[in-house]
Amino acid sequence: MITEHGAIAKIWNWRITVFCGLILLAVAIAAVSFGPISINFFKVFKTLFDLPGGSTGQDRTVIMELRLPRVVLGILVGSALATSGAVYQTVFHNPLADPYLLGAASGAGLGATIALTSTNHNLYGALPIFAFMGGVLAVFTSFIISGKFFADPNSLLLSGIAVGSFATAIQTYLQQRHSAALRPVYSWILGDLTSASWSVVAWSSVYIAIALIILFSVAKQLDGLMLSDEEAYSLGINPKRLRIIAVAAATLATATAVSASGLIGFVGIVVPHLVRGLTHRVTNRSLITIAMAGAAFLVLADLGARTLLSPAELPIGVITAFVGAPFFLVVLRNRRKVTQ
Amino acid sequence: MSIIVTDLTVRYGEKIVLNDISLEIESKRWTCLVGPNGAGKTTFLKALLGMAPYSGSIQDKGIEVFKSHKRNVAFVPQHPQIPQGMTVAEYVMLGRSKRDGWGNESLSSRSFVHKVLMQTHLFGMQSNLVAQLSGGEMQRALIARALVQEPELILLDEPTSALDLHHQISVLNNIEMLKEEGVTIISTMHDITLAAMFAERIVVMKEGKVLLSGASQEVIHSPELKRAFDNRIDVYTLDTGRPVIVASKEKHL
Repeated sequence: MITEHGAIAKIWNWRITVFCGLILLAVAIAAVSFGPISINFFKVFKTLFDLPGGSTGQDRTVIMELRLPRVVLGILVGSALATSGAVYQTVFHNPLADPYLLGAASGAGLGATIALTSTNHNLYGALPIFAFMGGVLAVFTSFIISGKFFADPNSLLLSGIAVGSFATAIQTYLQQRHSAALRPVYSWILGDLTSASWSVVAWSSVYIAIALIILFSVAKQLDGLMLSDEEAYSLGINPKRLRIIAVAAATLATATAVSASGLIGFVGIVVPHLVRGLTHRVTNRSLITIAMAGAAFLVLADLGARTLLSPAELPIGVITAFVGAPFFLVVLRNRRKVTQ
Repeated sequence: MSIIVTDLTVRYGEKIVLNDISLEIESKRWTCLVGPNGAGKTTFLKALLGMAPYSGSIQDKGIEVFKSHKRNVAFVPQHPQIPQGMTVAEYVMLGRSKRDGWGNESLSSRSFVHKVLMQTHLFGMQSNLVAQLSGGEMQRALIARALVQEPELILLDEPTSALDLHHQISVLNNIEMLKEEGVTIISTMHDITLAAMFAERIVVMKEGKVLLSGASQEVIHSPELKRAFDNRIDVYTLDTGRPVIVASKEKHL
């Protein structure tokens, strides 16, 4: 820990970030290269960078219109969920906080169910908009109910739970009334990236990019929110304002991710703990690393979902939980050994 | 320059917590706030920090506290929020953020943290988790964080309340190091004997008001101090001349 210069070591080792970036790159290339239709790896590479000798026709369509947008959406959604999870855990001083905590998931679920159960089938196409509006509205309602606009993080957390339960109740009622919609609602709840297209990537990347840029720019200050408000204030941050900025940005990222790909569980909780557990550092300097790890995790999970039972697809949520849960337990166990 | 408090009133809803306080706090001295629970001591510290909305005026270097964002004030709370999973080095390093900007990890900053860890006898524990420190170590970590902040003013809320006698003295000695560096110290303390030992000035508070303020030795022997505690304390003087303040047993029976 101490260097020969008589100084403590740096809190965050940026080589970890670079390493994580390289893993993400490798995973992304693998995910574009492999799938139910086998295409030569070098051809995929040449196609991606528009070099001579690349694929043409159907293969090119598979790479550029099916796999690539799906990988990009996986990167966006994975980074959004993992970063939001890490931020919520810091803001609420709660290691179990996940991105869906403040009712974003239930609200989005209700929005999606309204679209799917509607007799007007034109609304199907508007599902992401409904989900997005539902998620944002639910979180906004939690904010309003909690009163004093975030004076107490716990009251926001509790009102988030109440609003979430309320939205789920309405959603269940709608599902029961329209049993034909049960299956599409259920599959949406499990989450998938099959709907990925360049248009979905285009609109979701805007919101997620805005949210992540905000979160990365306040990442270092977020460490101050791990202390009491008075301590944070004396260290030069305005804790109430920072909390609102952080939660608003994390909610924007989450609502966008949910609208684009349904409810993909486990990423927001597992990935931050994995990065923090493996590096033994809780600092939010790791936020970019957590984002890249989340992206790599989700792209890899989607590759598994596409190929394991090929040509059939597994719901991605099944993979994230199946792989994530045991890995998570191993990290937790090791972490406990270190801290004891 | 001193901190000048004029007609300071703090309300939480209908409740008046600090009632029309006027006071001058000398800079580069140690001032201790004493008084029974509910006297408003902690709220006074928060107002000095700029975190309790007040009417009246608190002027630090001639600038109103809540208007001045550039003050470098360290705050040591009675019940700190313990960040789970954070190491002592990370925790103490947070103190540099006001001086160096958030996330700055320059060599000079890290050397300074190293030096302070040695001073506060935390060296060798820098990789330990804050959550696993003992009461005395935690208090030293808090003081270390305040030291690396190089503040002009430090506010300490009951810095010794959770400590055994030996650690009380060691923590108070650590706080005294700040005074040697020209820092103004304002603390609350339940143990008036210790307050008289370390602080140069004592402010006696009760029910949101200041009953008396002055040099420690004068305040200790004044009737106002007894009045603040409803005459339920006794002041003795040891052969060494040191005053000892204890709760009087008879009055509780």
